[in-house]
Amino acid sequence: MGRIIEEIYVWRLPVRLYHWINALCTVALFVTGLYIAAPLFNPPLGEAVWYKGMSWWRYLHFASAFIFVANFLFRMYWAVFGGDKYGRFGGFRPWSPAWWGKPFLEQVESYLFLRSEEPNYVGHNPVAALAHFLFIFCGSSFMIFSGLAMYGENNPGGFNSVWFGWMIPLFGSSYTLHWAHHLMAWIFPIYLIMHLYAVFRHDVVDRTSVTSSIVTGYKHKVEEEPV
Amino acid sequence: MQSNQTFADLFRAGGVSRRDFLKFCSLTSVYLGLSPSMVPSIVEAMEKKVRTPVIWLHGLECTCCSESFIRSSHPTIEDLLFNMISLDYDDVLSATAGHQLEDVRRKTMKDYKGKYILAVEGNVSTKDDGVYCMVGGDSFLNTIKETAADAAAIIAWGACASFGCVQNAQPNPSGAAPISDIIKDKPIVKVPGCPPISEVMTGVVTHFHTFGTLPELDRFGRPKAFYNTRIHDKCYRRAFFEAGMFVRSFDDEATRKGWCLYKMGCKGPTTYNSCSKIQWNGGTSFPIGSGHPCIGCSEPNFWDKGPFYTRLAEVPFLGSDSNADKIGVIAVGAAAAGAAAHAAVTAVKKAKAGSEDNDKA
Ligand code: HEM
Ligand code: HEM
Ligand code: SF4
Ligand code: SF4
Repeated sequence: MGRIIEEIYVWRLPVRLYHWINALCTVALFVTGLYIAAPLFNPPLGEAVWYKGMSWWRYLHFASAFIFVANFLFRMYWAVFGGDKYGRFGGFRPWSPAWWGKPFLEQVESYLFLRSEEPNYVGHNPVAALAHFLFIFCGSSFMIFSGLAMYGENNPGGFNSVWFGWMIPLFGSSYTLHWAHHLMAWIFPIYLIMHLYAVFRHDVVDRTSVTSSIVTGYKHKVEEEPV
Repeated sequence: MQSNQTFADLFRAGGVSRRDFLKFCSLTSVYLGLSPSMVPSIVEAMEKKVRTPVIWLHGLECTCCSESFIRSSHPTIEDLLFNMISLDYDDVLSATAGHQLEDVRRKTMKDYKGKYILAVEGNVSTKDDGVYCMVGGDSFLNTIKETAADAAAIIAWGACASFGCVQNAQPNPSGAAPISDIIKDKPIVKVPGCPPISEVMTGVVTHFHTFGTLPELDRFGRPKAFYNTRIHDKCYRRAFFEAGMFVRSFDDEATRKGWCLYKMGCKGPTTYNSCSKIQWNGGTSFPIGSGHPCIGCSEPNFWDKGPFYTRLAEVPFLGSDSNADKIGVIAVGAAAAGAAAHAAVTAVKKAKAGSEDNDKA
């Protein structure tokens, strides 16, 4: 094994906390959301007053939803005001043609096995940044806006219905918004598969200890292939 | 037809006592969600204001809205209201027909320019110049544009006029379009439902007559008083929903016990209407009360969100066997397969590179 030649503190505590709270909430939201759509369990016959079968799942969904929202806002705050070199998505400039240029293409080529050496990034590589932007930033924003709009349906004229209710006509009807929220829920397991695969693969190929970095915060540079 | 009588005149002529008349006014204020302090304004409007002239047009429709309207089984008082809107033109209910009737329409449009209400039942065929709906010798497309031009406001009765209903369900062969797609420059109240509840219909007319303005509308242009909450929010089976007690087939024990119809495809959680509040036929019952899931008849494009008896709709352009979950499972499978294939290639490449290194050594 190559000797560790450098240890870099990449993910500061707020980023790591964000990551794990987000991961837990996402899993909880996905599971409870699917349950809401298709409640499986049969309660025993009896009086409705004794059971909370559906309320519990909905309660869990909404509780994790609000933690998820707060956590998401916190991460946005940290990116902008945290003064965190690796946590601010500083390199992510999709509006500039230059960003789509060499580094991005090199990373894509590397993923497509078109180049042999792997470009190496301490923070997010450009393809990862794009995936985070599309799945996590856009995806979560959509789930939050549509979720709050549906949440507001309980209380017409209330805060959520006033601030997020416009999502309903935008999507045509309450039903279509439910449907879109349900369909978009599936991007999270898809993301998780790609994400875990990418993390493990980078760890195996580049040996930068990226997997443990999201727990410890440290990435490592190792010596070239030992002979 | 004397068109300058007030509602109160007609109530009296119809033998309705003052007491019943006042009852009617307070009932109406309750339906409209107005505070008791507004009752005097309703009484005053009913007594003093000349009846609002109404032109009622029928386009592509099934007349279920008219059926609902006339079948209001509340005290005869509602029948009276029906007699009392100054319904100057209604091609389905009028005794006259043909040119005579069309002349009445034009006369009302002239005499009450900018003052009459245009009530529209049904929607407009727009394909091939609207030939798929011809009324009184002209296309309905032309008639509605002509009649809307001088109207004070438009009431779009039912799912057809409001959102399109079955006529503009896919593939919409006649190019049927809701009124709001055709008339852009007039205030439009949408009163969706297939049909709408009769008390909702009379309530909207009374509001306009009383205040001279349209009722407060929501984001879809529906009166908030009747379409502010979902069936689900006021449904008497909601306790079973929260408890997770669901009907799972139409012949199980739960059906007999009257549990929640969510798993039978009930669209109550996404449907805005008053069925679970006002109910139908003078408060007799409503679909869920009779054990049938709500099909969402007052929601935009509800025909295309079927099947009625499953909760998650098909994805129309992907054929009748697909829904959001099937798409999701396939996409997740594809992502997993992609990752596995990528891992395999990586492993092969690594093995190759490794053996080359070994050769060199
Ligand atoms: C649903 C579950 C998950 C979601 C939504 C998720 C999301 C994310 C996001 C958004 C980031 C970027 C962090 C930032 O800059 O704020 C990230 C990074 C990371 N995640 Fe996850 N994650 C999930 C599960 C996991 C799991 C189970 C692991 C562990 C084995 C993991 C390992 C990592 C690592 C190692 C990084 C750093 C990657 C890099 O260097 O760019 N994640 N994840
Ligand atoms: C990762 C994020 C999320 C996922 C994967 C997710 C998933 C789901 C799923 C699958 C459903 C069932 C949809 C249906 O078929 O009716 C649902 C419903 C719902 N979700 Fe989410 N959701 C997420 C975030 C949120 C957020 C942030 C909120 C905000 C409060 C929210 C609020 C709701 C509401 C109100 C419902 C409707 C519940 C009902 O009809 O009883 N969701 N969610
Ligand atoms: S029957 Fe329908 S409207 Fe009533 S509680 Fe169940 S899902 Fe909601
Ligand atoms: S219960 Fe639903 S489908 Fe039935 S009339 Fe009311 S809104 Fe229409």
